[in-house]
Amino acid sequence: MSLSLDATQLDRYSRHIIMDEIGPEGQARLLDGSVLVIGAGGLGAPVIEYLAAAGVGTIGVADDDIVERSNLQRQVIHTDENVGVPKADSAKQFVNRLNPDVTVETYETRVTPENVEELIDGYDVIVDASDNFPTRYLVNDAARLAGIPIAHGAIYKFEGQITTLVPDGPCYRCLFREAPEPGSVPDCATTGVLGVLPGTVGCIQATEAFKLLLGAGEPLEGRLLFYDAMDMTFETVPYQKDPDCPVCGDDPIDSIDHITYQDGCRVNITSEQ
Amino acid sequence: MQWKLFANLAEIAGERTISLAIDSDATVGDALDALLERHPSLSDEVLVADGELHDHINLLINGTNIHSLSGLETSIEPDDELALFPPVSGG
Repeated sequence: MSLSLDATQLDRYSRHIIMDEIGPEGQARLLDGSVLVIGAGGLGAPVIEYLAAAGVGTIGVADDDIVERSNLQRQVIHTDENVGVPKADSAKQFVNRLNPDVTVETYETRVTPENVEELIDGYDVIVDASDNFPTRYLVNDAARLAGIPIAHGAIYKFEGQITTLVPDGPCYRCLFREAPEPGSVPDCATTGVLGVLPGTVGCIQATEAFKLLLGAGEPLEGRLLFYDAMDMTFETVPYQKDPDCPVCGDDPIDSIDHITYQDGCRVNITSEQ
Repeated sequence: MQWKLFANLAEIAGERTISLAIDSDATVGDALDALLERHPSLSDEVLVADGELHDHINLLINGTNIHSLSGLETSIEPDDELALFPPVSGG
């Protein structure tokens, strides 16, 4: 670890440094760490906020949307005056005001099969804060090939699903082999979403990202955490690596070239031959 | 036994937890049939044409996926909790 903490940093991160579990070494590790946040919306906002506050040295923000007024009910890093501004830029402005230790890399693009490998390359951790199945399956598949862990979170109205996908553990397709047909599980724009819901879910994703960076604690690996805001319940369901998983099973893929990221995001084995 | 439904499945059914009486020799498939009889509109969401579960639908008995048991043939007890959930994608 080449970094040493200066006096301002010792002050800023003192509540981390004072803990044995983190200490100056752990804080230096955060400052040396890099996290790619895919989506700067409802989930991404609290993730970016807490990663930046805690001094994660490099935060990548990938989002091709612009801030809309209807986002502001939950996407807490964006402001009324930034309506119309690209979300990646708005996120960067927020972080720059919060913590000068953090470098923000902005990617004002949709994550595609063409750009995903370059986009994720070199990051320690990915936080999947996207809002659609094709992106989620694409990120799962590409991150697995690149050996990068993912803190996954997804929301529906009053419910959240959170899990952590580490390179040696089960992947998203072990849990959900293919995506539902488009339209069968409605999105936030169609159904609405409780404003604070992505705050809770995003904070759990950020917690997982910190643990992965620090190498501390027990990641939410092989466990799917359900959060129900209405009942105020958390339930954990275990799941295992699927030997038949097309991405990480006994006969894994070696590239994403033959996967179609639309409709069911099916891994088309036959065309692979 | 009790069914617990998540996300859009709970919405389509209009209820989140459903208690059903089952026969002593009932299987998961029987419990699923009883659920779909009560809520026919769930069928398209849960089953493909051949009567198998959609690939993206998970069915758990007391927290264990039926894939690691005997699938729909797995036998169940009167106090078992079965859960049915799809992935969600919102962000």
